[in-house]
Amino acid sequence: MTIAACALLTLAVAIYVFWLHDDGDAGEVKTRLAYLKERKDVVYENLRDLNFEYKAGKLPERDYASLRDSMEQEAAAILAEIEKLELQHQLGRA
Amino acid sequence: MAQLGSFALLLALALSGYAFFAGGLALWRAAVPAPAGPGYDPQIDLTRRRDGGAAAAQGPDRLRETARRAGIAIWLTVTVAVIALLVAAFTNDFSVAYVAHHSNITLPAAYKFAALWSGQEGSLLFWSWLLATYGLVLRLRYKTDRRLFAYAGVILAGVQFFFQLLLVFAAPPFALIAGTPPADGNGLNPLLQYPEMVIHPPMLYLGYVGFAVPFAFALGALIMRYPGEKWIHITRRWTMVTWLFLTCGIFLGMHWAYAVLGWGGYWGWDPVENASVMPWLTGTAFLHSVMMQEKRGMLKVWNVWLIFCTFMLSIFGTTLTRGGLVSSVHAFAQSSIGDWFLGAAGWSGEPWKSVPYYVPGFLTIVFAACLYFFIRNRDHLKSENRLESLVSRESSFLFNNLLLLAACFVILWGTLFPILSEWVQGTKVTVGPPFFNRVELPIAMALLLLTAMGPLLAWRKTSVESMKRNFGLPAIAAAVTMAAMVAAGVRPWVDAGSFYALMTVGLGVLVAATVVMEFVRGGRVLAAHNGVNLAAGMLQLTRRNTRRYGGYVVHIGVALVVVGMAGLAFNQDKEQEMGYGDKLAIGRYTLVCRSYTQGQSEMVAGTTDPNYDYEAAIVDVFRNGKLVTTMYPEQRFYHSSRQPQHMVAIRSTPREDLYIIYAGQNPDTGRPIIKARVNPLVMWVWVGLLVMALGTAVALVPSVAAAKLARAAKPAPVRGRLAQQPATAATASLAAASQTGEAGD
Amino acid sequence: MATIFARRGRARLVFAAALALTLLGAGDSDPARFSRVGKRLMCPCGCAQMLLECNHVGCPDSDSMRAQLGAGIAHGDTDDAILAGFVATYGATVLAAPTRKGFDLLAWIMPFVALGGGIIMVVYFVRRWQLRNLQPAFAAPRVTGAGFEEFRRRAREETEL
Repeated sequence: MTIAACALLTLAVAIYVFWLHDDGDAGEVKTRLAYLKERKDVVYENLRDLNFEYKAGKLPERDYASLRDSMEQEAAAILAEIEKLELQHQLGRA
Repeated sequence: MAQLGSFALLLALALSGYAFFAGGLALWRAAVPAPAGPGYDPQIDLTRRRDGGAAAAQGPDRLRETARRAGIAIWLTVTVAVIALLVAAFTNDFSVAYVAHHSNITLPAAYKFAALWSGQEGSLLFWSWLLATYGLVLRLRYKTDRRLFAYAGVILAGVQFFFQLLLVFAAPPFALIAGTPPADGNGLNPLLQYPEMVIHPPMLYLGYVGFAVPFAFALGALIMRYPGEKWIHITRRWTMVTWLFLTCGIFLGMHWAYAVLGWGGYWGWDPVENASVMPWLTGTAFLHSVMMQEKRGMLKVWNVWLIFCTFMLSIFGTTLTRGGLVSSVHAFAQSSIGDWFLGAAGWSGEPWKSVPYYVPGFLTIVFAACLYFFIRNRDHLKSENRLESLVSRESSFLFNNLLLLAACFVILWGTLFPILSEWVQGTKVTVGPPFFNRVELPIAMALLLLTAMGPLLAWRKTSVESMKRNFGLPAIAAAVTMAAMVAAGVRPWVDAGSFYALMTVGLGVLVAATVVMEFVRGGRVLAAHNGVNLAAGMLQLTRRNTRRYGGYVVHIGVALVVVGMAGLAFNQDKEQEMGYGDKLAIGRYTLVCRSYTQGQSEMVAGTTDPNYDYEAAIVDVFRNGKLVTTMYPEQRFYHSSRQPQHMVAIRSTPREDLYIIYAGQNPDTGRPIIKARVNPLVMWVWVGLLVMALGTAVALVPSVAAAKLARAAKPAPVRGRLAQQPATAATASLAAASQTGEAGD
Repeated sequence: MATIFARRGRARLVFAAALALTLLGAGDSDPARFSRVGKRLMCPCGCAQMLLECNHVGCPDSDSMRAQLGAGIAHGDTDDAILAGFVATYGATVLAAPTRKGFDLLAWIMPFVALGGGIIMVVYFVRRWQLRNLQPAFAAPRVTGAGFEEFRRRAREETEL
C-alpha cells in the first residue's frame, strides 16, 4: 500500500516535470521600448506628485518651476525616443 | 503514513536540488553570450535592440521549463509530507517520535494541528511548506516576466534545497521511536495550549519565509543585471504582505505573552522576541527606502543590502529559535542544527597546534553569494539622481533608515553581547530589559519625531516656511496634550518612566495630527479641483495613491500602539492571600473573593483521563461600590506534561485593563494567592495593530489613476494620441481631465 | 525651591528636572527601593524573566531572592552592596544589564558609537550626493528643437493634477 502510494507520487511528479507539451518559452529579453515605457510612468508619476505638492503648498514657486522644468525635459526626451522606436517598429513590420 | 511522509521529503529534496541545479544551469547557459567583466557596457543589452519590441526571444528553453515545473512539484511533495504528519498526529500514531513528543490522545483537535509547528522538526517542515507555497505562487505567475521569475525561482529553489537537506539529514520529522511505541504521548507544552498559539507561529513564519521572495527577486535582478526598477514594483505587494504577516505575528506573540505568561507585560526583550523584531526593523526600512529607488533611482546598493540583510536576519531568527544559541523562554526545541545555519568551526586536532577548519553554514553561503554577485555586478547599481536638498522626503527616508538600522543593531548587539563577553572575559553577562529600554527608547522617540515630520516634506525639496506652517497645528495639539497630562498628574521630572510616557504620547499625537493634516490638505486640493466636498476629496486622494495614504494610516496605527505602550509607566500591581470574602483594593477597583472551585477539563470521547485539572477563583469586581463584573482567574495542571499553567482573567476597557492571576496556594496557610494588576491603555496596542493592518490593506489596493492610465496607454495609437479621437473611455476621461485642468488654471 | 526656579524662567525648570532625575533614588521609601533595585535583577532559575516578574509556580530561586533583597534593604545596605551580594551568590548573569565597568562598558558605548558613525556617514553621503550630477543609466538622448516643445506640452497635459 505505502509502496504503491510512493510509486504513484513519483510517477505523477516525473510526468508533470518532464513531459512538456509546450516548448517552454524562455521569455523575451527586455526591450528598450519596454524600459522606456516604465521610465515614462515613473517620470509622469513624479511630475504629478510635484504638481500636487506644489498645490498643497509644500514648495515655493521658484523651486517648483526649476524642478518641473528639469522633469519635463526628461519626460520629453523619453517620449521622443518612444515615438521614434514605435515608428521604426511599425516600418519594420510593414 | 510515516514512510510515505519520509519518501515525500526525499522526493522534495531531489526536486529542489533539480530545480536549483538544472534551473541554474539553464540560466547560466542562456546568460553565457551576455558580456560581463571589464569593458562591459551596461547599455548593450538595451541598445542592441532598438527595434522596439521585435527583440528576438531566446527561443525555447526546455531545461528551464522542467526546473520551473520541478519547483511546482516541490509544493506537492512537501504538502504530502505535511498531511502525513497531520494524519499521524490525528490518529495518535505514537510510533512517530515527533507525535509522541508533541501530542497526546486527549489534546483538543486544534492543538493537534498546532503540534505541527510546536517542535523543531515539525516547524522546519512547516517552514519548508510555506516556502514551497510562496514558490508555487511565484512559479505560477511566471508570465509576468519570464526571465526575472526564472532567476527568482532558482534562488528560491536553492533556499528550499537547504531546508529539505535539514529535513532529511538533521531533523527528520518522521523518525520512528525506538522500541515499542508508548500508549500516550508527552503532550503539547501547556504554554502553547492557547488560541493565539494556533495563529501566532504561522503568522510569524509567513513573515520570516515571505522575505525570501523579495530577496530572491533582488538577488535575481542583480545577477541578471535587470534593467530598470520594475522588479521593485513586482515585489512591492509581496513585501507588504510579508511585512503585515510579520507584524501580526509579533503582536499575536505579545498578546500571548500578556495573556498566558502572566507577568502583566507583553514585551520582555527575550532573545526570540528580539529575533523577530530585527527583520521587522530592516524590512520596515526597506519598505521606505525602496521608494527612493522606484521614484528616483537612488540608493540601489543600500536597498539590495537591506533586503539581503532582512532575509539573513529572518534565517538568523529561525536559527535563534531553533538552534539554541541563546537562552530564552522560547527554548521549546533546541539542538545542534545551529551548525547547519552558522557553520561549524574547530581544529583538526589539538587547539592552536593543528589546522583550523570552518565548514560554512547556510547563512555563510548566502552571505558569500550575495557578496560575490554584488561585487561582480556593482556597476549595475549606480545611482541615477542627485539629492537636491537636505530638507526633503529623500533625506527623511535616509534618517528613518539610519534609526531603524540603529535600533536593529542595538538588538543584535544586545543579543550577541553575552556570547562576546564569554569569549573576551570568560564570564557570561545578561543583557536584559533595562539595557534595551534605556538604549532603544531614545531611538524610538527620534523615530517617532521623524514619522511625524516625514509626511510634511515634499520630494526633492521643501520650503522651510511651508514646513513651519504645516507643523504649527500638530505641534500645538501635541503641546496641549502634554500640558493636559502634566495637569492630570504626570510628573516627568520625577522618574524616567513618566518622562518617556509624556514624550511618547506627545509624539504620538504629533504623528497622528500631521497625518490628519496631510489628508485634509490633500483632500482640499482635490475637492477644489474636482468640485466635490472635503470627504470625497480625501477619499479620492486615498484611491489615487493607496500606497502613500495607506502608509499614513499605518503611521496612525503606530501612534496608537506607542500611546498604548506609554501606559506601561503607570502600571499598578498588588499581591494578597485571599480567603472567602477577603478584599483587595487596587486602582479604582475593589476585588472581593467570592469562592473557589476545582474541576477537570472535558473528556475527549473514548478516553478516561482529562487533559488537565484546574483550580479557579471567583472574584467579584466593584467600582464605586457597584458590582462591575465577575472574573475567574484559573490555574491548570496538565496531566501528560505534568506542568502547571495560569489562565489570567483580563477585563479590558479603553482606559485600562484589570488583570487577575490565580498564583496558587500558600503552602504554609493553604490560602490562595491572588495577584492583581491595573495596566492602563493596553487595549490601544491591539487597536493600533488593527489600524496598521487596515492601512496595509489600503496600501495593497491598486491605485485608481495608475490603473486607468495603464489601460489608457495600451490601445492608444502612437502619434498624436490626444489630437485623435480618444480610443477608449479611459483616454476620454483622461483627456477630459486635462482639459478641465487647463480651464481651471 | 521649586517656586524660585519657576520665577527664574523655564530654563531653570528644565535644569531642576534634570537635577531631580539624577538625584532620584537618594531618599526613596523601602517599597520603592525594593522595586527599583529588584528591576536590576534577573531570576536565575532559567525562566529568563526579571526577578520581580518571575511568577511561575515552584520557582526555586525567586522567593528566596526577594527575601534577600528585602532583608538587604531593611538592613540599610547600599544598592551596590546588595547587588554585589547577589553577584557573589548567583554569578554575573543575575544582573539584568551589563555593569558600567571594564569590558561591560562596551555594551553601552557601542550603540551610540554605531549611531554616531551612522549619522556621520549619512551626512557625508548627503553632501556627496548633492554635488554630483547624474543621469539615469539608460538615459534617453536629449531632444532639441521644435519637437521638444511638442513632447513637453504633451507631458505637461498628461500630468495635470
